[in-house]
Amino acid sequence: MNTNKRENVAAYSFLAPALILLGTFLVIPALMAIYYAFTDYYLLTPDQRQFIGLQNFMEIFKDPIFIQSLKNIVLFVVFVIPIQVGAALGLALLINKPRKGNIFFKVAYFSPVVLSLVVISVLWLYLLNPSEGLINSLLANIGMEAQPFLSSPKQAMITIVFVSAWQGAGYQMLIFLAGLQNIPSTVYEAGKIDGVNKWQNFFHITLPLLKPTSVLIMITTLISAFKLIIQPMVMTQGGPMNSTMTPVYYIYQSGFSDRMIGYASAMTVIFGIIIGIITLLQSRLTKEDDM
Amino acid sequence: MKKVMFLTVLVLMAIIVTACGGGNESSNASDDEVSLWVHTSDETPEGEAMQSTIDRFNKEYEGTYSATIEFIPRSGAGGGYEDKINAALTTDTLPDVLTLDGPNTAAYADAGMIAPIGDYITNKDDLLPSIIQQGTYDDQLYAVGYSESGVGIFYNKQMLEEAGVDLSTLPTVEEPWDWDQFMELSKTLVNTYDTAAIDMGFDDKSEWLMYAFSPFLWSQGGNLVSEDGSTAEGHFNDENSVKTFSFIQEMVKEGYTTITPVEKGFHTGEYPMKFGGSWTIAEMEDYPDVEYGVMPYPASPDTNELVSPSGSWQYAMAASSEKQEAAGALIDFMTSTESLTEITLANSVLPAAHSVVEEVQDKVSPQMNVLIQQNQNSAHARPVLPNYPQVSRVFQQTVSDAAYYEENSDVQKLLDEKTGQMEKALK
Repeated sequence: MNTNKRENVAAYSFLAPALILLGTFLVIPALMAIYYAFTDYYLLTPDQRQFIGLQNFMEIFKDPIFIQSLKNIVLFVVFVIPIQVGAALGLALLINKPRKGNIFFKVAYFSPVVLSLVVISVLWLYLLNPSEGLINSLLANIGMEAQPFLSSPKQAMITIVFVSAWQGAGYQMLIFLAGLQNIPSTVYEAGKIDGVNKWQNFFHITLPLLKPTSVLIMITTLISAFKLIIQPMVMTQGGPMNSTMTPVYYIYQSGFSDRMIGYASAMTVIFGIIIGIITLLQSRLTKEDDM
Repeated sequence: MKKVMFLTVLVLMAIIVTACGGGNESSNASDDEVSLWVHTSDETPEGEAMQSTIDRFNKEYEGTYSATIEFIPRSGAGGGYEDKINAALTTDTLPDVLTLDGPNTAAYADAGMIAPIGDYITNKDDLLPSIIQQGTYDDQLYAVGYSESGVGIFYNKQMLEEAGVDLSTLPTVEEPWDWDQFMELSKTLVNTYDTAAIDMGFDDKSEWLMYAFSPFLWSQGGNLVSEDGSTAEGHFNDENSVKTFSFIQEMVKEGYTTITPVEKGFHTGEYPMKFGGSWTIAEMEDYPDVEYGVMPYPASPDTNELVSPSGSWQYAMAASSEKQEAAGALIDFMTSTESLTEITLANSVLPAAHSVVEEVQDKVSPQMNVLIQQNQNSAHARPVLPNYPQVSRVFQQTVSDAAYYEENSDVQKLLDEKTGQMEKALK
């Protein structure tokens, strides 16, 4: 009992820093957001906050911009996940083989991850300028018409997909690389003895053994993709015609520009539930595959 | 046992949280010492001028009042500073006097954050009408702007002359052009240079679109919302709005302006004209090869009334201040002719009072004088509404959407839709 107690004390004191930080910056704010979601909290009159029940939620479901932002983010996620994860896997395979200059490529592929998203967005803003940008000059050289990119309601989101995938892929590439290097060489040797070709090698050995890494990457990429805000904020301000407005951006705008903390909190709660459900579904699906 | 430990941890957490939230910063100052928060840095010319004004105040009122200034530089669109104001509001630690951007007047006054200061300001008659308009909510003066801003049309003299335009026929503040004349000029320039005639800043999808484009609507005799600010229906979608937004759409459709202007296109001789303000004059110092002039805003052909953008940061008194007399005296001092002249010249901005115009007009460039003169005659403050951020955003989106002339060729339909959104913001 005595040693038990002492061990408990030790355990909790080791846990305390993490618990305190998590509690202060995650649990308490999250609980507060849930509470505010049921109030009419206006940023400038915190004292006149009143409980208004489900009113915020009813309004949100009638808010065309919020609905539009949900559609936009689904479009973004559907495109960005395969492109970004596929690119990451491709890059990881490329630099997995020992080759001269590998370090250079590793750094080159990873460097966009280190740069600030704001810097990247501004950079692409210049590259994508319809009249003077480098991308359109390149297109002109191969005989293609100049594209409006970010200033077209049809192309803006897709453009952001490519910029985001280009920026983020380096990070997933590193994780894939670690996964690849964890695959024991004995498996490949066994394959060699059985005479598998390159494709069989990839689809029947590498991919299945990368499964745990892939699941992790899918889930983390999915969640961060849903949280898209900086790229549209810097590059398009949610436009043209709200085509790049995302839920997190709209929450930010409602809370801090429009000062409707209650309304923004309610959107946060709804959006949190949506992401939670999707994450659950995804982990269910990938688990079933295992059996 | 485990429960006990868990509770201890929770209590610890609670202690830390409350300890972080405590700390009352502003209440330890003495009775006659006024605290002032400003949004700029002490290294900018604006901040230096403020510091020097505070030093003069402290000398002049030695023994009666004193003031301290705290610089809280804002980031970009005002992030850092307003976050701090919002946090101070929640913890009741606002300073006695603070700066606020023009469009925030109504929201701050409506929330009871700032107090009316009309009784303390001695030179109200001297202040420009746009300054009074911007600081007045519910018929009471809540804030006084210490400078003004404005937009004029910057033109490249050489490019215009080469296109066959006689510069002496260009409009003046006394005799402005209407939209049709302006489009005629744009057409000439487009035909000569095969590029957009004017960079109107369509790529800046923020407050700029409200600030720079709303004067067209006012010139036409229209408005965003009703006089009492209660409804947009029948105002933002009336005939005047349709005419105004059709003009804006026409500018894009005819290729007179572009929604994706090249960065610094005017500065480098790509576009012959640009919407610019006093900051553009400062920028142009780096491009000495471009000889440029400034002409006033074009007016609606129906009214021929010149209306130009305006608005800037102001001083206001926190309603929570217990030293209202001293705070009032400070704001009055900081908006006196001497103080305003100091900050206007230091910061190269437009004057906020008639007397300051007299003081500075011989000391600034002819281009600046066009902006000053236009501002003095035709400046219109943005609407003073508590829900300004939402109203402004709907207006910005309307301008931005109208520029997509293929998708939104029916301007009336676009305005009806946007009026609905504005209506929602107003309730």
